[in-house]
Amino acid sequence: MALIEIKDLTKIYDDNAFPVTALNKVNLVVEKEEFTAIVGPSGSGKTTLLNIIGGLDKQTSGIIKINNTDISKLKTDKMIDFRLHNIGFVFQAYNLIPVFTAKENVEFIMLLQGISKEEREKKAVELLQAVDLGDRIDNRPTELSGGQQQRVAVARALASQPSFVLADEPTANLDSVTANNLLDLMEKLNKEHKMTFVFSTHDARVIERAHRVVTLRDGRIEKDEIRQNSKVNAT
Amino acid sequence: MLIALAWKNIWRNKKRSLIILTAITLGIWAGLFSVAVMIGSWDTTVNSTIDRNLSHLQIHTKAFKDDNLISNYIPNGPVLADNIRKLPQVKDVSARVLIEGMASSPGSSGGANIIGVDPEHEKNVTTIANYIIDGEYFSGIKRNPILVGAKLADKLGLKLRSKVVLSFQNIDTTLTYAAFRVAGIFRTESSMFDGSNVFVKQSDLYKVMNNDRIVSEIAVRLKSSNDLDSTLSQLRGMYPSLVIESWKQLAPELELTYQFMIVELEIFLGIIMAALLFGITNTMLMSVMDRVREFGVLLAVGMKRMRVFFLILFETAILSFFGGIIGMMLGSFTIWYFSDKGIDLSLFTEGFSAWGMPSILYPALPLSFYGILTSMIILTAIIASIYPSVKTIKLRPADAIRTYG
Repeated sequence: MALIEIKDLTKIYDDNAFPVTALNKVNLVVEKEEFTAIVGPSGSGKTTLLNIIGGLDKQTSGIIKINNTDISKLKTDKMIDFRLHNIGFVFQAYNLIPVFTAKENVEFIMLLQGISKEEREKKAVELLQAVDLGDRIDNRPTELSGGQQQRVAVARALASQPSFVLADEPTANLDSVTANNLLDLMEKLNKEHKMTFVFSTHDARVIERAHRVVTLRDGRIEKDEIRQNSKVNAT
Repeated sequence: MLIALAWKNIWRNKKRSLIILTAITLGIWAGLFSVAVMIGSWDTTVNSTIDRNLSHLQIHTKAFKDDNLISNYIPNGPVLADNIRKLPQVKDVSARVLIEGMASSPGSSGGANIIGVDPEHEKNVTTIANYIIDGEYFSGIKRNPILVGAKLADKLGLKLRSKVVLSFQNIDTTLTYAAFRVAGIFRTESSMFDGSNVFVKQSDLYKVMNNDRIVSEIAVRLKSSNDLDSTLSQLRGMYPSLVIESWKQLAPELELTYQFMIVELEIFLGIIMAALLFGITNTMLMSVMDRVREFGVLLAVGMKRMRVFFLILFETAILSFFGGIIGMMLGSFTIWYFSDKGIDLSLFTEGFSAWGMPSILYPALPLSFYGILTSMIILTAIIASIYPSVKTIKLRPADAIRTYG
């Protein structure tokens, strides 16, 4: 069942004297429960594609539908609301709110959704336990290691019960052990909780673990490889 | 949680927040204190003018107002003064004889306003008795005592017990001379007043004039200045043929000074507000620019733009609230301290006394001003945060997240 449908997606940056085509008629369908890595060299359009899928940027032309909603037609505040309820974000630099504890960071998303205090506190603790941070719930980001911060970011991404999680280079700032632990966690969430993950990455470890690898080059899909461990049969 | 986030954000950069807090505190403190000094100085000047000689209300004949001759006296003046004295809101009444004449000493002479008063009633109406710097208030001299202003005494070379000859045109136009002896020398806040006025007993003057019915001016002192306008209307109704004026009409320059002071205040407060406005805008803008990536993340994960807007507004509002409280407390304390001790301006007394201003100022601020000023400054602070807030909600999350800082 198609979760993300992209058709003839083109993005041209024309802010400068020389327009740059970042994405050129990209077509892609991501099914539910996929564990997909978008890879490619720098400047291939990975981040642009992720930004457009996440509704953080607008395409120049083409269609992008998430859960059958054409998100390019949503106005700014509607888009923010759509992101809140449908998309979980994990950033390369973790990007937690530094003044909040781990629990408050996770709770904050649920607060934006209007969930009651008791419910969000309970769920935040559950999510942090699920990412093996049950004993660090009252620590602030500065008191956590990079790997722990990224785990909090994953818990935060899951707090809104999104349709899928977009992760932009999630392991780029982590050492091998921590990166593998994080990938274990995300894979577990994918398997056990049926959570769809879409990554952009350079990291061979992520690529190795991905069920599907979409390779971008010069703004076009060069290769779309589905691994044996994938739940998706064909694209 | 939004307020909690705003509160926590404030203390992320303590130095910067303390700068804003200090700016707001100082703004409110300076605003309150300067307004209190201005209002206090005006109050002191007005009270001093009322106390010195004007009193609250004065009654004259229209002819006297046009030409202050002794012949233009108030008909039945003594009876009229007695009647007004009986009004419940009236503290006392001084029926005065005013004559323009000459004062001469063995060495010199000069023009003088001769004011004939009943010492007991005058004491209740003005505070001239308190301004005696040498001698006593109409005592110590048995026959024809006179009180002379310090500046006039200097000019004429008069000392205590010196003889002064007053000359003036009597009601029958004959030139009349009378000898007085200095019982007291007074110095008020107004050197102009001290250089031109002498006080004598009305009874002594009547003897010289050979007439005991002349009253040129009736000065009315009220128990409360709140009754000024109602008493003015009442007296005008009672004595329509006479000119009855309050101190505001008698000393229009005071009203003018008040208007001028209000304009000055508005300009001064405007400058404080503008400085505060630009200062806070600049600091909040720096605070926001430091957190561009964080705001980008908040917008990306689903925080609505209005919430981001209010988050920044809350941060400023919280700082303004505490700055407001501290500033108000500091301002109130400073005003309270100086309203009791006074601000000694004796270094500038010469300059001030030419304007009839006292050398000690007592700051005073009506209660309503505290609220008005504090609200104005808090409002200014909140307005100052609008530009940084608007700039933030216009951020594109995709660009903001890529910002490092």
